[in-house]
Amino acid sequence: MKKRGYKKIIPYIYSFPGLALIGLMIVFPILYTGYISLTNMNVYHWFDFQVIGFQNYMKALFVLDTGFLTAFGRTIIWTIVNMVLQMVIAFIIASLLNVEGLRLKGLYKTILMFPWAMPGYISILLWKMGMFNTEFGLLNHWLNKLGFANVHWLNSNNIAFASSVMVNLWLALPFMIMIIDGALQSIDKAYYESATIEGAGYFSKARKITIPLLRPIIAPAVVITIFTTFKQFDIIYLLTQQQGSKTGADIHTIITYTYEKAFVTNNYGYSSAISIIIFMILIIFSLTIRGRLKGGDVDA
Amino acid sequence: MKKLLAILLIATLCMSTIVGCGKKKEEDKDTTSNLESENTSGDKKEEAKEPTHIKIWYETQEAIAEELQKELDKLAPEIVVSVERKEKLTETLKLVGNDPSSAPDMYFFAHDKIGIFAEMGILSPITNFIPESTFDDFIPMTVSAATYKDQIYQLPIYFESLLFMYNKALMKEAPRTTDDLLAYMEANTKDGNYGFVEQHSTAYFTVGWIHAYDGFVINDKAEPGLDLKETKDAIKYHKQFVKYMPIDGDYNTMTTLFKEGKAHSTIGGPWLIPDLVENGIDIGIAPMPVVNETLKAISPFAGIQGICVLKGAESKKEAVAKVLEQLSKPDIGINLAKAIGSAPVNNNCYEDDAVKSNEIVMTLKKASATAVPMPNVPEMDVMWAITENLLSSVNKGDADPVTASDEAQKKALEQIEAMK
Repeated sequence: MKKRGYKKIIPYIYSFPGLALIGLMIVFPILYTGYISLTNMNVYHWFDFQVIGFQNYMKALFVLDTGFLTAFGRTIIWTIVNMVLQMVIAFIIASLLNVEGLRLKGLYKTILMFPWAMPGYISILLWKMGMFNTEFGLLNHWLNKLGFANVHWLNSNNIAFASSVMVNLWLALPFMIMIIDGALQSIDKAYYESATIEGAGYFSKARKITIPLLRPIIAPAVVITIFTTFKQFDIIYLLTQQQGSKTGADIHTIITYTYEKAFVTNNYGYSSAISIIIFMILIIFSLTIRGRLKGGDVDA
Repeated sequence: MKKLLAILLIATLCMSTIVGCGKKKEEDKDTTSNLESENTSGDKKEEAKEPTHIKIWYETQEAIAEELQKELDKLAPEIVVSVERKEKLTETLKLVGNDPSSAPDMYFFAHDKIGIFAEMGILSPITNFIPESTFDDFIPMTVSAATYKDQIYQLPIYFESLLFMYNKALMKEAPRTTDDLLAYMEANTKDGNYGFVEQHSTAYFTVGWIHAYDGFVINDKAEPGLDLKETKDAIKYHKQFVKYMPIDGDYNTMTTLFKEGKAHSTIGGPWLIPDLVENGIDIGIAPMPVVNETLKAISPFAGIQGICVLKGAESKKEAVAKVLEQLSKPDIGINLAKAIGSAPVNNNCYEDDAVKSNEIVMTLKKASATAVPMPNVPEMDVMWAITENLLSSVNKGDADPVTASDEAQKKALEQIEAMK
């Protein structure tokens, strides 16, 4: 009897250190943030804060001025635009990489992986200084050589949004390309052969064989990328909102908006409440799209 | 074999998490034994054998830390001071400020964080350790910078402000008034060369123009002044200058332009000078141009660097008092002026020949009569972003200065409310 009980416990003992680490580094901060959101921790009560209940949430939800709603809407648009572009472009590039008899495939893949290997912070700043700078950036340099006037890449809202999408695609495509490339290689060639025999063209093959078979494989990657894109802070912040070099464009997403409104005030109770609200939005989001991406059967 | 490997790996993981905790316990033991030896031994001879350790954090240039260390080594062997570098000093202090075992005894930083730290309750007023008469010889502006809610929290050591710098090879004579400056820019800005560049949309730099119109960003009663007529006039006037400068107006672009001789003049801090000299620029320093409309010179913010004492150091009162006394003497001011060209706060330092002959230091000393210290109230923290958003939208985005300022003032009041 004792031996059986012991054997049951062993898996838990083995996984305990890993679980403890995850608990400490992921679960505990979330719980602590939840706790702080119920207190009045701010500059005036830094170490001697008290629990004040849901007052911070009331403040966050009722002082939901149009700024917050605009930022929320813009974040949704940002996520959709980026995801659609990412998936389409990554699919095209991955398909091209898998063309029969392509030489130097390894070289192309290595070059395409570069953006992913560079530290994000530095890449974004290089884009800002080296590419988008109005007087000295590379893009305007090229435009001038072609006879066009300087474009203000980051100063007005719409153009700044497009520029940020460009940078996000540059940073995020390698991951998508790699995933789709791997998925494409795992599709059984027999499907394509029988489709060719039945007279299917390239687009029919893509629509009826490739995409349905890709869906279950790339589903996890797509979900991860949706979340990462939704929470994207670096790009918008470093390109347009960095203290000391703001560009005049107001393309706040929900996270940069929260940062500027809540975190700068050093009101940790309030900021924690907003963080928990965003966290809840993401959880609801993940529950609603679970299962939507599962495909798997080839359409006849 | 696999089981053994798995067990070894788990053991290593557990050990590495415990080792981190272990060190802290040892540190606690050290500091408590120090405190004990101070409290229990009443005999002076015994105290001399046990030197008091004082830790000072800094985040600034190494040269300054070296001078501080040199000056405070004079207090050895009774008092052993270690001047240590701490990255992200202010953030770390927010975390550990009330924990004597992790926090330093004093720190060296600019005066603008005094308000926040005082409200958090981690600072001890300087006057608990040294008499107020120590400040009699100090430049008055620096003492008011170090004061928050009528308590002095910092011992000022040197101050810095912005200077009007010009390239002597390109600009023969610095313009006296801002209208002259505008005319100069109009005549000389072409083909990738600029008459004058500055970080035109950052709060820190534009505030000088706002002060010249008697406007302000926030006063010491924590009231924002973005919708004052004076502030709006300043912003409207300043917008004309942005036309002749690169629109991005960021630090890298502006400094590089001046360094490479493509800009004739700029407004910048004394910290730029070593780099410029290395690049072979013949730098001239001139007094700030005077605004024609108000007859006041551009008056930028002044930052006063000095030492603050944390509450946890109250148990080492005598040692702290000696350290502060040592640093209130003219020596440190003179040595820093010689090492990095900073302007000392102690008027006695200006008797020294080396200081008197330093052009930059003397220009800063003259500027101290009109310079405005950065506000040290906690509410200033939210004003940086708001002011910068206002300036960016007006200078880079064609917003109307009047409506944008009113909106910014509303946002500022909302943010200040949100702080509570």
